[in-house]
Amino acid sequence: MTQSLRRSWLPLVLALSSLTLSAQQPSASKESDFLSRIRRLTVEGRRAGEGYWGPDGQRLVFQSEREPGNPFYQIYLMDMASGDVSRVSPGVGKTTCSFINPQTGDVLFASTHHDPSSKQQQDDELKFRASGQERRYSWDYDPEMELYVRSAKTGTLRRLTNMRGYDAEASYSPDGQWIVFSSTRSGYDGTLSAAQQKQLETDPSYFGEIYIMRADADGSGVRRLTNVPGYDGGPFFSPDGKRIIWRRFEENGVIANVWTMNLDGTDQKQITDFGSMSWAPYIHPSGRYILFASNKLGFENFEVFLVDIDGTKEPIRVTYSDGFDGLPVPSPDGTRLAWTSSRGGGREGQIYLAQWNHQHALDALAAAPPKQRATKGSGQ
Amino acid sequence: MKKAPILVLLALSAAALWAQAPAPAPSTATSTRSYVETLASERFAGREAGSTGERQAGDFIAAQLARIGARPLPGRQDVFMSFDFTAGSRDGGSQLSTGSQRFSAPADVVALSFSDDATVSAPAVFAGYGIVVPEAQNFGYDSYATLDVKDKAVVVLRYFPEDADKETKSILARYSDLRYKALAARQRGAKALLVVTGPRSPNAGQTVPITFDTALAGSGIPAASLSGKAAAALFGSRSLESVQKEFDTGNPHAAGFALDGVTIELSTKLVREKRTARNVVAYVPATSPVTGVDKPWIVIGAHYDHLGLGRNGNSLATAEDAGKAHVGADDNASGSAAVLAIAEAFARRPERKRNLLVALWSAEELGLIGSSAFVNTPPIPLNQAAAYFNFDMVGRMQDNKLAVQATGSSTTWPSLIERANVAAGFNLNLQPDPYQPTDVATFNQASVPSLNFTTGAHLDYHKPSDTADKINYEDLDRIAQFATTIAARLMESDQAPQFVKVEQSSQTVNRTGVRVFTGTVPDYAADAKGLLLGGVIGGGPAEQAGLQKGDVIVEIAGQTIANIYDYTYALELLKIGEPVKVVYMRGTERRETTLTPAARR
Repeated sequence: MTQSLRRSWLPLVLALSSLTLSAQQPSASKESDFLSRIRRLTVEGRRAGEGYWGPDGQRLVFQSEREPGNPFYQIYLMDMASGDVSRVSPGVGKTTCSFINPQTGDVLFASTHHDPSSKQQQDDELKFRASGQERRYSWDYDPEMELYVRSAKTGTLRRLTNMRGYDAEASYSPDGQWIVFSSTRSGYDGTLSAAQQKQLETDPSYFGEIYIMRADADGSGVRRLTNVPGYDGGPFFSPDGKRIIWRRFEENGVIANVWTMNLDGTDQKQITDFGSMSWAPYIHPSGRYILFASNKLGFENFEVFLVDIDGTKEPIRVTYSDGFDGLPVPSPDGTRLAWTSSRGGGREGQIYLAQWNHQHALDALAAAPPKQRATKGSGQ
Repeated sequence: MKKAPILVLLALSAAALWAQAPAPAPSTATSTRSYVETLASERFAGREAGSTGERQAGDFIAAQLARIGARPLPGRQDVFMSFDFTAGSRDGGSQLSTGSQRFSAPADVVALSFSDDATVSAPAVFAGYGIVVPEAQNFGYDSYATLDVKDKAVVVLRYFPEDADKETKSILARYSDLRYKALAARQRGAKALLVVTGPRSPNAGQTVPITFDTALAGSGIPAASLSGKAAAALFGSRSLESVQKEFDTGNPHAAGFALDGVTIELSTKLVREKRTARNVVAYVPATSPVTGVDKPWIVIGAHYDHLGLGRNGNSLATAEDAGKAHVGADDNASGSAAVLAIAEAFARRPERKRNLLVALWSAEELGLIGSSAFVNTPPIPLNQAAAYFNFDMVGRMQDNKLAVQATGSSTTWPSLIERANVAAGFNLNLQPDPYQPTDVATFNQASVPSLNFTTGAHLDYHKPSDTADKINYEDLDRIAQFATTIAARLMESDQAPQFVKVEQSSQTVNRTGVRVFTGTVPDYAADAKGLLLGGVIGGGPAEQAGLQKGDVIVEIAGQTIANIYDYTYALELLKIGEPVKVVYMRGTERRETTLTPAARR
């Protein structure tokens, strides 16, 4: 559920692309063992991604750049029976990272539409594109980003957070009572040293930490769960609601790993250790294993992997496709997988959908060797 | 004998098509199967435009349309729309004389396929390769820069400079088409064009075969190719080989010259064989008055003609299969079947806001002639057509992959396709480019928002082995159902899609410059990075190099290949008989081989 990909992926690819040359792929594709009837789900618009299922598997909420006149993501809800797509977010400004409340069907997302300069930013971006220049895409961690929820019952929009800093990457607990999210608010509380202030200007995500609050929150009662330098983000609850899974970047902002912890922030446990960027974790509804994305095989070649819930085994590669495959989200019944991929061509992702072979995943885990440790100091 | 079962099966399948269940309805694939098996049977002998087989296939389609309930267009008695076309050309006795020497067809002088019939007498001028690169290209190559050819007979070399560097070749190749050379000569006042295949070029000293040229009119100038013997008579004591060598460097300052004292008399005669073919066109009327509906027609179409016995040059049959019926089950009995199935699905709908025009084109294989004839004299105003849906080769789906082409022709398409595909579930490959080698291009030229559906080329493409037993009927029915869903959304809407003109890519390939043969069969529906091979031609250079179906060519002769355009562009730069390095992916393994291109005639 993170945007860190957008931040780090493209610009660093340009700087570090020589690293990808040594990436060797296994000779035989095993993708079809896990995924069948693969197909592109989103078509309209320049890009789309981060598809999250409603509790009955009949709806998918996602972000897509398809609003005329707005070059930023907006949030859309797709009816998986009729194919109808409707916009959930206001249409103005930037949005990201949506999630459906498993109990009420309310849609949670982050948005900047209250920012009076939203229209201006849209026009500036469109003008920039029209000039034919290529932006090294950078996610700006807009401190105007706040959490909103659109009520399924009344259609009204309610603001949940009200604090300077990027509040986003939010998701609900299975009982719909709690929201876990990432925020850079600690970078804006006025207590930064000069060095920290400089850090904020060059890389605000450094201040990203995980927070939890009640779903009926009014901006108060927010509790901080992490306190480690480097970007913590993309948190989700486990299917039993007892743990939180997220990804933690090292201070360098290049290497990330998947972690889990208790709801009060205790028992923080590192799951992956590839020494690369491993992120966007999501736990399969069976609770048995974690799906995540990593660029282990080449800096711009993200693939989906799976690993057992405790991270005791060596992760197993799921996708075999050049470019980007990430943000894997299994359907609530565990039989389908939605993920974001650039396999359709170009660098912009779209959402793909496939049947998920759960039994094969279990078999592969059973056969997997114990986890290997990344070689420290290898210079990666 | 087959008719009775078809009736029953069709009724079943149409019900399946219109099942509005959220999950994809189980497909019976029976109606499309019947259509394909009939159209691709031996009795229609490959449905060559203008042949008896095409006529009988047209009768079969007409009977199906009548059974479905489609009617002749308003004001017409039947569903047949005939058009004339040129089925082929031959030299009718061209002659050339200079001084006391006389040359005649077909040995030493052969009219070019676009030549005017005329007799002219004029002094001869040699103009090198006869290439003019337009000034806008900023390249500076004009074979006529220092020549006055007014009222002269211009003699030019075929092709483009043989020894030029790759970049020069790639530019000159684009302006080396003989039609273009004839145009350049005519615009400078020349009375005739004579083409010589130089001794340093492939096919040296040979006349140019009369290619199939569907234009009914000539190019406004008599034009002929000469044998090496006839050419030698014009050049007298000069060695054509050393003359050519001077031009082969690509040096733009190499100047042509008058062939001193040589006056030629040229008489060209081209016999064009005209034939008549038939589009089959009907419509399923709207159920309510269409007043107030924006653009009250939706058009669906597919070509039903194919290559007959494969004698017109488009056949890829192996030597042992040559002359057999090219029954064209996938190309394009499959598309014809999809159109009939969709027409029936709409005929059974209780409500239709728009008229559905159902067209089965002929002479597509000869250059989109049938659909062009329709668009040139349209029986309905084309600005009243909300959309056109084309189906060409939709019977060989693999791995759930479906290419939808021309999606750039309206901003409406992506959202309509996305919604319809949520239930249909294809792994879509969307291609915005409407300039496709099928009838969708004709409607795009007529500013009608269009889509083409295809499952792509395969090893049986344009061979007698493209038979009905190899068709994937279940997925063919899914495609028909998918297109029906998209068309139905449009049919129910009061508004029509906006047409968007897609600029023709500057990379769009001009195949006239390509004269090498590599024996590769590109998979046009693929979305691979590189050129995915749908197959290789038996015994061809690619097969000899060890390439096979499924390989992805990523580099040839040092040129990286990202797509089919890059590939064809790279082919222009290859030399016949000169081995080049080919880098390709087999699975995830990067491999290299050496390929030696052969000559294409």
